[in-house]
Amino acid sequence: MCNANRFLRWYLIVFFSGLLLACALVSRAAVPATPDAEALLKQSDRFRNGWPSYRVRVKITDYEAGRSDEEHLYEVSQKGKDKTYVEFMSPREKGEHLLMLGDDMWVYLPDTSRPVRITPLERLTGDASNGDVARTNYAADYSPVYLRTEKVGAEECYVLDLTAKRKGATYQRILYWIRGEDARPVKAEFYLTSGKHIKSASFDEYGVIGGRMLLRRLTLFDEIRHNSHSVLEYSGATPRELPDKLFYQGRADRF
Amino acid sequence: MDRRLLIPVLLLSSVRAVAQDTPKSVESRYQTRYSVGVIDDATFYGNQKAPLPTVLNQVLIEPSFGIRDRGRWNVNSSLIGLTATYSDTSTQLRVREAYGGISARDFDFTAGRKMVLWGAGYAFSAAGVLDPPRMPTNPADRLNVNEGRDMVKADWVHGSQAISAAWSTAALAPASANLRDTAALRYNVLVRGFDTSLIAGHDRGGDSFGALTFTRVVGQAWEVHGEAVWREQAAVLLGAKYTFSGVTCIGEFYTPPNIPYYRDASVSPLAGRQHDGFFDMGKARLRERPGWKEWGISGSVVANFDDRSYTGVIDVSRWFGNHFSSYMHLELPRGSKTSEYGSSPYSTAASVGVRFQL
Repeated sequence: MCNANRFLRWYLIVFFSGLLLACALVSRAAVPATPDAEALLKQSDRFRNGWPSYRVRVKITDYEAGRSDEEHLYEVSQKGKDKTYVEFMSPREKGEHLLMLGDDMWVYLPDTSRPVRITPLERLTGDASNGDVARTNYAADYSPVYLRTEKVGAEECYVLDLTAKRKGATYQRILYWIRGEDARPVKAEFYLTSGKHIKSASFDEYGVIGGRMLLRRLTLFDEIRHNSHSVLEYSGATPRELPDKLFYQGRADRF
Repeated sequence: MDRRLLIPVLLLSSVRAVAQDTPKSVESRYQTRYSVGVIDDATFYGNQKAPLPTVLNQVLIEPSFGIRDRGRWNVNSSLIGLTATYSDTSTQLRVREAYGGISARDFDFTAGRKMVLWGAGYAFSAAGVLDPPRMPTNPADRLNVNEGRDMVKADWVHGSQAISAAWSTAALAPASANLRDTAALRYNVLVRGFDTSLIAGHDRGGDSFGALTFTRVVGQAWEVHGEAVWREQAAVLLGAKYTFSGVTCIGEFYTPPNIPYYRDASVSPLAGRQHDGFFDMGKARLRERPGWKEWGISGSVVANFDDRSYTGVIDVSRWFGNHFSSYMHLELPRGSKTSEYGSSPYSTAASVGVRFQL
């Protein structure tokens, strides 16, 4: 009799423990887990930076009141997360170069007497700023926080709130919509330290380049002068072995 | 060769270079770069102190070409064909740069005429011992007429630091340049945001010198730079750049000793140490104003605090499409007749010009 009671008691303990565990697991599965914002941001960066070391051409067409009024061509060489070298190829900027090393940026103008250090505010000049071309590794520059899930057109997107975590970041804050399915960037809003919404971006077109799905077309909208926008078209992305010498700040002869 | 033929020959050689620069894959072994600039510049002098023509017209053709073999070797040239009409007409060919280089691992070797930019100052520099001369009233060299130095140079570049050794000869430089053979060594490193250089060298038959330069960005809007140089006596430069709303301001204070190396022709040898200042405020593109996106404007003042002379400079430029631009450059020197800026032979110099860039 005593053994039967002991058996019953253990049976009940094990039964209710199992029931509690099952309830906990079911309730956990019923509430969707908060996405890992850091992992999503790193994944989304891969759509803009296909390889650890690569070269890509960027054509920027500026539109004013719906009409194209200027074209700029750049050759961008990127190595790792914080070394970018941009050669300006269009006639009116020929001979100019931009170098980014971590938080530091220099511009080399053929007609000035020295390499010019660029302050963070100078990175913001133009509809497509220097930073838009040279700094595309958001995971290295911003701390992400998951905000919500939202539909953009037919796409279910995660909305991330990115806050600058280093001096070299181009913007103080970015609201970033990335596709839930594969973390592909869909759209973004860019804010200054003052909280002013200065630009928006729509990531319009992707394509398979060198076996990787990469961004091919991005449109930047000026939120201060609403009648102007810039279209950035990426082409010729290729993995390249880039020598460290290319990213040396004291090298004035950039070719 | 008749010098008058030089400009068409230059133009033809540059056009040939253009023809060779077919669209290339980023994978191609050779990379080429070219540019051609054509400038027509007219300068009108006001209140001349000597009986000289009041208009100087200059036509400049500036072809540049470079070829590189995947970072192993490179050959570069940048020439200037200049026809100037003042009291008479003269044509000359200047070699801005013509050099070849080879690279092996962390080493680069260069020989030929080359622009070297070691100084940290914008309008003034004492540390840029191999740099083209700075002109505070025209620091951006608006006509691109500065020439490099003839040199052999070896660079060791490793990460963000480099050691450069250069020997420059004055044998091929024009006598008016007043240059000496110079041997110089430079160590450059980026540490905690400080882009810092140590320079040491010797001018043959002249002085030995040593220099420290730095540039640093502080916060969101400030850049500071400076130079400390010892050549017989100390020369010091301190400068800063401030950016707000797309407007860039640059200010510099410079104090060189009054020794022959630094002395301007208009300054007396008895005048003692000089103190100069420079302030520039400009906006490259007036994009906030509808219809003014293609305009750029800047104004600057350069002053000698010892003789209280100064020159005001105003620059206005406008782009027309991707290839053409026009500009106006106005200089207004003021001061006593014996002062550094007041001794200019005119009281106004207004230059207007058009530029074509390919």
